[in-house]
Parts: sequence; structure tokens; C-alpha cells
Amino acid sequence: MFAIPPPPRYPTANGMPPTPLETSNQLSHPEGPEYSFQSGEGIYVLRDDIQLATPPPHPSETPIVNPNPLATSTNPPTSGVKLSVLTLNPRQVRSQLYKTNTATSNLLRWRTLGRQETMKSKDPRDAKDIKEIEKDAALSSDASSDKSAPYGSDASTKSSNAPAFGEGNVALTPTISRDALKRRKPKNNMVKSNSSFVSRVIPHDHLTKRLAERDPGGTFAFVNINRAFQWLDMSSSVKAEPLTKILFTKAHMLCHDVNQMTKDEAHIDVVMGSSASDIIWYEPISQKYARINKNGVINSTPVSKIKWIPGSESLFLAAHHDGSLVVYDKEKEDAPFVPEDVIDEAISIEDDPDSTLNITKSVNSSNQKANPVACWKLSSQPINDFAFSPNNRHLAVVAEDGYLRVIDYLKETLTDVFSSYYGGFTCVCWSPDGKYILTGGQDDLVSIWSLADRQIVARCPGHDSWVTAVAFDPWRCDEKTYRFGSVGDDCKLLLWDFNVGMLHRPKGALARARGSVSGQSMSLARHRTESASVNRIRSDSNRSQGMQDQDEEEAVFINHPVEPRARTAQLPPVMVKTLDPHPLCGLVFEQDCIITSCQDGHLRTWDRPARDGASANHVDVSAK
Amino acid sequence: MSSFFGKLKSNTDSKNASTSSPAKNKPDPNAPQPTPLERMLENAGPLRHDGSDKFWGMENFGNTCYCNSILQSLYYSVPFRENIISYPERSTADSIAKAAASAPPRPKYPPKPPQPKPNVALPQSQQKPEDKDSPEYKKKQALLAGPVLNMSYQNATAYDMPESLYSAVKDIFEAVVTNQSRRGIVSPSKLVEVLRRDNEMFRGQLHQDAHEFFNLLLNTLLDSIDDSEKKRIAAHIEAEKANGEKNEYEVLSHAGQENTTVSFPSLLPAAPPQPTKWLRDMFEGTLTSETRCLTCENVSQRDEPFLDLSVDLEQHTSVTSCLRRFSEEEMLCERNKFHCDNCGGLQEAEKRMKIKRLPKVLTLHLKRFKYTEDFGRLQKLFHKVVYPYHLRLFNTTDEAEDPDRLYELYAVVVHIGGGPFHGHYVAVIKTQDRGWLLFDDEMVEPVDRSYVKNFFGDKPGLATAYVLFYQETTIEAIRAEQKREGQKRRASESAPGETTKAEESAELHQVRSVSPPLSPVENGEVKNLDEALTSPVLTNGHIDPPRSPVVEPPSAAPLMGTPVNKKEKSRIEKEQKAAAKVAEKAAKKEKEREEKEKRAQLHDRLAEAARQNAEQMKWAMEESKKSAKDEADRRKEDGVRITFGDDTTLPSGGSTPAKDNIFRRSKSLKFGSLGKKDKKPVEPDMGTLVVPEPVSTSTSAIDDTQENGKEVIKEKEKKNRFSLRKKSFGLLHS
Repeated sequence: MFAIPPPPRYPTANGMPPTPLETSNQLSHPEGPEYSFQSGEGIYVLRDDIQLATPPPHPSETPIVNPNPLATSTNPPTSGVKLSVLTLNPRQVRSQLYKTNTATSNLLRWRTLGRQETMKSKDPRDAKDIKEIEKDAALSSDASSDKSAPYGSDASTKSSNAPAFGEGNVALTPTISRDALKRRKPKNNMVKSNSSFVSRVIPHDHLTKRLAERDPGGTFAFVNINRAFQWLDMSSSVKAEPLTKILFTKAHMLCHDVNQMTKDEAHIDVVMGSSASDIIWYEPISQKYARINKNGVINSTPVSKIKWIPGSESLFLAAHHDGSLVVYDKEKEDAPFVPEDVIDEAISIEDDPDSTLNITKSVNSSNQKANPVACWKLSSQPINDFAFSPNNRHLAVVAEDGYLRVIDYLKETLTDVFSSYYGGFTCVCWSPDGKYILTGGQDDLVSIWSLADRQIVARCPGHDSWVTAVAFDPWRCDEKTYRFGSVGDDCKLLLWDFNVGMLHRPKGALARARGSVSGQSMSLARHRTESASVNRIRSDSNRSQGMQDQDEEEAVFINHPVEPRARTAQLPPVMVKTLDPHPLCGLVFEQDCIITSCQDGHLRTWDRPARDGASANHVDVSAK
Repeated sequence: MSSFFGKLKSNTDSKNASTSSPAKNKPDPNAPQPTPLERMLENAGPLRHDGSDKFWGMENFGNTCYCNSILQSLYYSVPFRENIISYPERSTADSIAKAAASAPPRPKYPPKPPQPKPNVALPQSQQKPEDKDSPEYKKKQALLAGPVLNMSYQNATAYDMPESLYSAVKDIFEAVVTNQSRRGIVSPSKLVEVLRRDNEMFRGQLHQDAHEFFNLLLNTLLDSIDDSEKKRIAAHIEAEKANGEKNEYEVLSHAGQENTTVSFPSLLPAAPPQPTKWLRDMFEGTLTSETRCLTCENVSQRDEPFLDLSVDLEQHTSVTSCLRRFSEEEMLCERNKFHCDNCGGLQEAEKRMKIKRLPKVLTLHLKRFKYTEDFGRLQKLFHKVVYPYHLRLFNTTDEAEDPDRLYELYAVVVHIGGGPFHGHYVAVIKTQDRGWLLFDDEMVEPVDRSYVKNFFGDKPGLATAYVLFYQETTIEAIRAEQKREGQKRRASESAPGETTKAEESAELHQVRSVSPPLSPVENGEVKNLDEALTSPVLTNGHIDPPRSPVVEPPSAAPLMGTPVNKKEKSRIEKEQKAAAKVAEKAAKKEKEREEKEKRAQLHDRLAEAARQNAEQMKWAMEESKKSAKDEADRRKEDGVRITFGDDTTLPSGGSTPAKDNIFRRSKSLKFGSLGKKDKKPVEPDMGTLVVPEPVSTSTSAIDDTQENGKEVIKEKEKKNRFSLRKKSFGLLHS
């Protein structure tokens, strides 16, 4: 009856944890029932576990003697181990995994092959190709009795023509006028740097040899732990030995991303955002780097999330803790940022900052000599995560203030604001087909939102603590059933199978579906009215009256109320497993494995079930 | 600046203030740097009269931090503060001053008793006294700076109440609210004296459990109000008998006068006619335990009131999950079998507890002190348990009213230390419009919002959240707050160095005071409504004489209703004016304004449509519910109605002891095993809720392990009767 509690944590020497010693990563292969988990498709088994070494504090930092637990000074934020993975040369896709005839898998395969360079390819034939594939997707999803998103398909067809971010701005376009084969590298050599920002760079002794001999289809992983940043080769037999390890002096890297567009054998573009607000553009093969937003000249708050803008070689988006999103150009110099007053009056409701996208610098600004390229203020609280939609048009942003904001970032307009059930949101991602948004939050829930219906689809209870990462498993999604996973502070991995037709709807929801006339018109009005505003030119004074009405309506519908529990569908997990003794913070689905990371530095790779029975099992799962 | 210190000087209680303030008026290099609190309060504008801008520390008399942290948490609950001050009535400034004058002189600082805090993780003892960052130094400075309110007097006679914890708390709150200084230190010596006098277990200098103190305090307050109300009613009936009906009007008008002559403007009608109702409404919720007999499948329900929920902790969980687990199904088997009335005899059963009525203030006690068998004593659990800034409850019953009620975290009582018998308590509290502050005995310091997250249990330093106070709020209020935050930040960004202006602060306050959840005015109105509904029941209740019901508090409500409305009207007018000004400034073009209006109209229309929709849905749901439910449900509803009746009769409890009254509600439901329980000889209804309590220990977690729950000392029962712990319930059925 009594669960014996773990031994109490007595105060160590001074009430402080022992100072970690500089060590190297440890690779282990633990085995046993606790190192595997079973789902409908089979058993996932732990391949290996890399324990990333936590670096000791920099010698220049005075060791804290007996810290006051009540000290009111604010500590710089830190984050658990985050993962950025990269495969230079993806293996040929195996059709057993993909269900060849499904729309999503078509899309997916096409995307994983990394051929989506919409921006570069001015070739109309290529563009048409894209369009057709996506149209295929739309058609088959229509056929799949998915009545809930009548406008979704429409939207996705159109959006395949999504222009590149900042395309309309002449000031931005001429920057790309150089030899495409030779990518520009950052200026400073990291190894020889005497910057006080970088403490030490430790490249592997046989870096070039390892790079030359590795399997080109293998996966690179970039990970952060404490003040260290490591570049790992996950396909190597000595994967625990980092290809390069960078130690920063004080700053912790909180987030990083790899540019999937510019990657090749000789060039990888990595950006990282730090707790000191500085951003590092790092090219690991040449060991060159550049520092952007140096000493916080543009924004002095920590960077909580950073991502390359899809389809762009040089632009990336960073979320700062003051609640702003800033677009930087890796090639541009910093300049002290003075907000440009270009608030879009048409869409912003003056009195309600929640439904406002406060554009302090537009991407269409003519002043594009220096960073930032664009700057949008969203919230007064930190932004925790954001994600680009697969069609490169929308941006889902989640923040500590408990709002999920959907932004049409090409038009720089806020289209939807959804509230969490309670508490802040921590993570967000899109379904591979761009129809659904997943969020995880401090309400222990994973929530599914429909972009086309502009409302919540289901809440997914199952975690015992805050959710820290959500991700779709594109290799197990088909046109009907979506597989996604989530990890949380409760140390658990949960897998979910989401099928919008199979959702268990509560009694209350039926009442609404039956609803009255007003209810009908409401729900109709709530549908995305993409067509009406597509060609709208910002701050156009000659706008027609009808257009204005459209805008007003949109503005009103931007804010969506919280749906009561009694009216929202719930989805239970298909698999729950405690994977680690420490809170988990990273989750990545790869073709052959799932990778999880925890706050203590464990990087665990879980092999997918043996392929033989996989597809058969998969059918079972989706049929359920 | 000078006026601010002038106010300090004028304070009679403080000898220190007058000596220290002139030094600060000049730029004296030796003068101490302004503390963060002082900096925050610079240019704070005119003093408010509701006590919402008072940031007072509390002196520690040697391990009385458990008391300080709880009192400070309660002070910043707006309805609690307002009600304590206004019940039985607001004291005049004169009365407070007179009482204060009778206070024995405060022993000159520093003959303060040494603060024995053995094994506290706080570093101060090891730090050099010159270290200006040590809490110890800051506390000393705060005491020196003053003013110090020496609460060694009592004003209970003015309230016509015996000296009790209630009068002591009221004394302190009134003294702080009426004081002209925004910051200072309360020396709550009387309260500690009364506490130790009345409660054996709090005697001595030992470290005590903050949650236990909270529970005792609330129960004592409820008793005090009940007693006092009984006395007043009795007195009134007598007066009435003597004077006849003619006097009735005079009594009422007198009451009205009192209302107008209070020394400070009140946001609330004085003396709410349902005295304990406000306190119950605030903290008390109802739990329903559903027990399903596995033999006959019969489901029995029983309702129990609670003042706080004690939740078991597990490593790496959230408060949400702890609450969920609290309501998880539990098997009653083996020694814990359930006595089924239907089949007769002990049977295996499934039991789960859900929340039927949600309290306005949800107090969560994290059971960090747990009895472990291998150590044979209480251990502190350092599990990482995260708590969000906002909360909704998942474990509500289907028929619960407003099951999606939104709560916001407003206070965290933090325990620092390695075990249950020593350590230190502090409170981190969200104030009305000054954000979060750390209250560490004498020291008060503004902290960042993220500071609240430091006490999950995963940080070094042994500081963990122990009691969480969540208060009812709305999404609109949260939005308004976020908006203000954003504005503040923007203001500080655009004009660095310039702090919030006086008018702004006043304006902010106004906005705040009408925000839905906290607004005392609205609370007052709601109360009036409640009374209107329940007053007929009151007449059937205890006061038998036919004319009496008109006379007592309920009838005072409508009288007070008008001034409230007027006040509200004027406030609304004021607000509208302010809003108009803002709008004028903002709207540069006429067209813009038109657009705005149009938008607002559209919004209204849509809101209306949404409302209708919601109503229809509600109606549909109710209909479907009605058809689905059977006779038993109707009976249950009857039960609920009865409970309300009981509720209203509570204050006039007559000869029944107040303690029994408290449980009248749960008794009134005739379900399941209750009948049997009622027949038990030893105060059975209380027994059912009682947590077995070891006599000598200060924490109650032991109850989990105690097997014979029914043999409990009555005195102990009293203390913890409201605090519900899941595990203890299993025992009751053995």
C-alpha cells in the first residue's frame, strides 16, 4: 500500500549540488523491459543512450557559495537539451513505411527529399509540379470523408503558390545575387576566436576524416546542454564523441536550428539563440561563426526559439522573451533598432493587444540595410515556441500568456488567437498536411486545433505534468489517422492516434451541432475567409467598403473563447511510458527511430519496430 | 517625495521613522540606498483607502513565520480583507487610535527575542553582518526604518466580541489599512498571544505547520463570527421584545448611520447580513464521494464541505495531476470495506471523490511532509511539483455549477528547510496591481513574475511551495491584466527611468476594482441577491417570532443596496469619462471612431448571438439531463435545497453548538452510509471528516498511516475537521 518515497534529498555540502566536473559524453546500451515500449505497430527498443556531459561553470564565474533560495535577483533562463537534426542526403524512401497512395505521404516524401525550394525556383514547371502534388493531397483528403474542413483543401491548394517571405520588397530581393554553388560563410573563425563570448571550441581530433568516412545518409544532431553546444554524428560508431563541442563563457544556448535548404557536404548553416540575447550563426564544417544581435543591440532579452524561415537562405525568425518575434538576416550587420511606426490599423484593435500584431518593423519597410528585417510584438510575456506551417504561409506562436496565435506571416497579419484551457503554452507543431496545430501546455494537455475550422478539435489529457514537446510522426500518418507524440515534465512519452472521424464527442457538442440558425451562421462565419483578403494591400486607403467589413469581421473573430470541457472532445493516448528518470524536453521522429532528450542530458534513441510486420500493424491501428 | 516621508513622520507609532526620514530627504551619501520596495512605491500617488496598496512586513517573534506568511496571504485576498474589516462593522479611526493608545509600549529594538532558526537553509547566519543583500540585514533595516505597528493591544470590545483570533486579525488589518504609511512592520504580538493561549499545540517557540495554522485560523474565524452573530441576534430579539415594533425602523436607520460614519470610504456595504456566509463562500467547497458497492452496484453519494484540499505528491507531477489523482477511483477492500446499506454489511466498493461546489478561493496544501516507515518519522518530500499561474479543476461532478471555473494563483506559502520541525516560511503574493512580492517576515520585496516558479522543488536551497492559494477569476480579468502589463512595459520602455505616474496608479486601481472576480462592489451585490433568495428560508429557520425576520440583517440589505448602486454608478460614470478622454486622444480621425463603433456594434451583435446560442445549448443540455435522470436525482435536488436552508440558519444556531452547525449541510443529504454514520455515538458527523492526529506532532501527514482513525481526541478533531485528505477517507468505512 505504501509506495516508498525516494530517499529524501538532504542538503549537500552547502545546500548546493556538487559542482559537475568536466567529463566527456557517455554512451551506454541499457537493456531490459523498462527500456522499451509497445504501441499498436510493435515494440520500440532503446538503441542507445548518450549521456551528454554537463560542463562545469566557467572559471571566471565566481562560484556561488550557499545561495539564498529567496534571492530575488533574476537568473538567466536555461533550457533542457533541445535537438536539431539534419540528414544531408536522405536515404531513398522505403515504400513500406509510406502508404504510397496517400496524399500526406506524397507530400511528405517530397518534402523530406528537400526539393522544396519554392523561393529559388522561378521555373514555372517546377512550381506547377508542387501545385499538383498538393492538389492531389487536397483531393484525396476531400475524398476521405473529412467533412470538417471544407475550406482546408481550398486553402492548401492556393497556398502552394505562397510567395516567399519578403518577396514583394525590392529592398530585400537583390541580396541574393551571387554564385549559388559557393555559399557564403560567416566571417570569424571560431577555433581561433578570442571573443569573450566563446570560451572554448573543441573540434574532434579526426574531424575531417570522420566527415569524409561517414555515411552520407546518416543523421547529424546539434544539441545544447548548459553552456555547451555539441555537434554529434548519430550514425557514427563513436557517436558519443562530438564532432565539435563549443563551450560558451556565460551564455546558455536555448534553441537552435539548421537550415534545411542550404545544407550540403561542405556547408551547414546553424543558428542558435542564447540566454544572453545574442544569436550565433555557425557553420560547423569551416568552424566559422558570426554574432548577431551582439550584446542585445536589437533586442536585449533571451531568445527562446529560433528557426530558419522556410525557403529562405539567409532569413531566420527568433522569438525573444519580451514577447516579440524578430526576423534577422544572417548576412546583415546589426544596427540599433528604432521601432518604425507601421501598425496596421485595419487589423489591429487598439484596445485589445491580444488581437494585435504590433508591427514595429515591417518586412516591407524600405530600410533594409541592417538587421532586423522585421519585428513583430505579440505579447508582454515570453514566447515559448513557434512553428511554420508546411505550406509556408502561416506561423503558429505559443506564449507564456496562454495564447496560441496564428499569423499569416507573409501578410504580417494575425488571423486567430486561441486561449489555452489554463496556464501558458509551452510547445507547438503543425500536422504534416498543415490542417491541424498541436499545442502542449501548463494545463498538462495536448490540444488539437483546426486551422480551417478555426477552433479546438480535441483536448488530450494523459500527461501528469506540463507538456514540453509535441511532434507528429510523419511516417505513421495517413490521410485519416495522424500519429503524434508528446513528452513532458512527467518524464513520459505519450503516443496518440488522432482520427477526426473517430473522435469521441461529448454530449454537449451534439447540442451545438444541432444548434440554431444563429449557431449555423456563426460557425459559417468562423470559417477562414482566405479568398476575400488574399489580395488586400496593406494600408491601402482606397479600400472598398465591402473589404472593410470583411476586415472588421475578421478582427472580431480573431479572439476565440475557451471552449468548456463539457463540449470538447477528448482523446486518450495509445501509449504511455516513462522513458527517463528526468523530465523530458525534446522529441524527434526520424524515419528509423524516435529520439528523446531530457533535462539531465540523456539523449536516447529508440528503434522503431522491425519493419516486417510494420505495415500490417499499421493498418490495424488506423482501422481501430 | 517629501510628502511621502511627511506621512511617515506623522505616524504616531513610529519613533524610528521620524529619525530616519529627515536623513533621507537630503542626498546623504551615508543614507541607505532605497530598498526595492521603496523604489517601487516612489510616486505611488494618493493613498488608497481599501488597503490594497499597503505592503507591510510582519515581525517574527521566533518561529512565528508560519503565522506571518498565512496572514499576509489572507490580507491580499481582497474579499477576505474587505469582509474582515467590515464585519461586524468598520471601526472608526478614533476607536483604533484609542485602542492603540492602550497598547503597552513596545520594547525598544533590538531586545527582540533571538530568532532561533536551527538548520535553516538561509545563509544569513553565515554571512557577514555587513552583507547588505542578506535577508537578515534587510529585515533589520526594515525594522529600523519602520513604522512599526505594535499590535499588542486589542479592540475586541469595540466589535462587541470576545478577544479572539478574529478580533486580533481584524485589529491588525484595520491598523494597517488606516495607517498613513504604505510600508512598515506589524508586530502581531496580541495575535500570537491569543493563539498560544487558546491552542496548546502552538505554545512554545517551536516551528509550526503553516497549513495547520491556516486551518485552525479559518475554523476559529468561522466560530467567532457564528458566536458573535448569535449574540447579536439574541440581543436584538431582546431589544425588540422590549421596544416593540416601533423600534424596528430606528434600529435600521441607526445601522444606516453607522454605515455612513465609517472612518474610511468603503467599497462594501458594512456588516454583510450573512456573517459567516462570506467566509464560507470564499473558502468552502463541497466534495461528493461516490461509492459504488461492487456487490449490488448501488451508488451512494455523500457531500462533505472542505476548506482546503490536501493533495498527495509524486515526483515530477503537476498540481493538476495531483488533483486528478485525488479524485481517482479507489478500491475499498480488505480492511477498508464499505458498509453498504443496500446489501447490508461490509462489501467491496469503488469510491471516488469529486468536487461538487467550487470554492472562490481554492487552497491547496501540498503534502510535503510524509511519514515514512523506513525512517519512522516525518520526512520532507522534495518532489518537483509544478503549479501553473492559472488553474481549472478536472475533478468536478457533472452537476457542478461552473465546472470550468478559472482560478489564478495569488499566493504561495513557501517552506524552506529540510524537515517538518524546523525551517522557515515566507509568502510570495500577487498584489492587486503591484505584481508579485516576496513577504519574508519583516522584509517585503517586489519580485519578478517568474520568481514564483522557483519553488517547484527542483531548485537547490530546499525552498518548496507548501500552500497554494488560487482565487476565482475570469479570462477577461486576465486579459485586462496582461494588457496593463503590456502598457506598463511599453511605458517604461518609451520613457526609461520614469516610473508610473500617480494618476496612472489611481486609474489602474479603479479599473481593477470593477474587474469581475475581485470587485468588492459586485461581491456585495451578489451577496444581496443571495440574501434576497434565501431570506424567506431564514424566517423558517431559527428565529421563530413572526416579526423578527424583517428586522435582522437581511432587511438591511435592500437599504444598503441603493448607496452601493449610486457608488457604482458614479464610478462607472467616472470610468466612462476617463475612457472618453483616452478615446479622444487616441482617435485622430472621426472616421476611425466610427469604424470602432461599428466594430463594437458588430461585436455586440455577435456576442448576443453567441449568448443566445449558449443559452439554447444550456437549455438543450438541461432538457436532456432532466429526461435522463430519475427519481433519485430529484431527491438529491431536494437535498440541496435543504442544505441551503440550513446554511442560512447557521448564524442563528441557537442552542446547538456551532461545531455541529458546520456539518449540518452534509448531514442533510440522506444518502448511502450517512444514516449509519449519524447513529454513531461519538459525534459521528465530525468523525467522518476527522483526520487522525498524533497529539504531539505538528504535521498531519501521519494520518495516512494511522489505522484506527476513529479513536481521536475530540480537541484534535475540531482542528482539522475541514481539511480533507483522500487517504483518510478509506479508514472511515472500516
